[in-house]
Amino acid sequence: AQAGAAGPVVAEAEAEAEAPPPPGLQLVQQGAEARIYRGLFLGRAAVAKLRIPKRYRHPALEERLSRRRTAQEARSLLRCRRAAFHLFFFYTGISAPVVYFVDYVTNSIYLEDIVDSITVQDHINSVQQSGSDTSSLLILAEKMGELLARMHDEDLIHGDLTTSNILLRPPTEKLDLVLIDFGLSFISGLPEDKGVDLYVLEKAFLSTHPDTETVFKALLKAYAATSKKSGPVIKRLDEVRLRGRKRSMIG
Amino acid sequence: MDLRHQLELFPDCSVTLLLFNHVKNAAALRKKAMEGSIEGALINPAMIVDPFQILVAANKAVHLHKIGKMKTRTLYAEIIFSLSPNNNISDAFKKFGISDSDTAVLIVLIVDREKTVNLEDIASQVEGQQVSLDELPQLTDTVKVKKMYKVTPQEEKIGTLLDSIVCRMSTKDVL
Repeated sequence: AQAGAAGPVVAEAEAEAEAPPPPGLQLVQQGAEARIYRGLFLGRAAVAKLRIPKRYRHPALEERLSRRRTAQEARSLLRCRRAAFHLFFFYTGISAPVVYFVDYVTNSIYLEDIVDSITVQDHINSVQQSGSDTSSLLILAEKMGELLARMHDEDLIHGDLTTSNILLRPPTEKLDLVLIDFGLSFISGLPEDKGVDLYVLEKAFLSTHPDTETVFKALLKAYAATSKKSGPVIKRLDEVRLRGRKRSMIG
Repeated sequence: MDLRHQLELFPDCSVTLLLFNHVKNAAALRKKAMEGSIEGALINPAMIVDPFQILVAANKAVHLHKIGKMKTRTLYAEIIFSLSPNNNISDAFKKFGISDSDTAVLIVLIVDREKTVNLEDIASQVEGQQVSLDELPQLTDTVKVKKMYKVTPQEEKIGTLLDSIVCRMSTKDVL
């Protein structure tokens, strides 16, 4: 019985233990879903995302899930880049890494490495640590709100919005944002899905970055101002906030 | 003059690119390519914006070849097919392969460790002048390329033409 209880945990540890890195690439990060490698691919700075197989899943399910997530990620990245938004006098897409190669055998994806970029998470942390006035973050928040509004107007749900999944291209001051990590993304026009997408970001944002309520408010304001369909989404967000642990849904 | 790159994921394979201008025997070369009597993928340089585009196609072709999942019959045909943004094989050959009236030819070779390929032998079959890959941009027909890959104005705002092309090539089987 004891062995049984420890079973899945041990198996998972074994499964995650050893996969050799792809040649020429170094392991940079190990998440729950995938290992991230960095290095040169076809002569260019690249990031490789190799999915970690979950041995506790039925193999057929594992294969299907893994493939679907990889395919979704590739699709969403292309969808972002080809989305069309008016910015002053021209059209612009949503910045997302270029896909170099998708390997459907190992369900891994090779992407453009945005060299010298930093995550919004690291940027906010450094601004807060340096004692700078958080009002400088308000403009960043506006840009984020605009970006997410555009993404949602394309009916693209990110699925894993956190400040570590949004990058700032160098130089940081330009506030040129790039969305990454579309492994859990999907297409949906439903305000519920968009509201939940924002809720996930809100929870991640406020728990990672203390005292940033005003910043996130600015993000939502910009979102509402940019998205043509924001009304129902914000409404859903308010409703979703009322769900969750230890919260009474009795209005 | 030629450009060589060892594929990171397939270290036994090297991709070699040879570029020729002022070519007079494109028709004969095309015939040889169709017969399989010349080694290499013969590509129309007007459709290529950067050697990286070829490397991406070659990498994918070698990958599919290794797992037995090519859509075409030979590795070199698969490279040409991988360049195409769509899944129509004959269209890929028509647009990316060479035609009788072409005056420039890009030859792509995959050399693996066991084989030896004689570059001079291949170059001697081309009635033209071998030039450096640096001259490729002069031969690119940007308008034709944008049309073929259906590059949108918004994509051009967030990246280079090459970025748009590579994205299209690598995600075409998932769309």
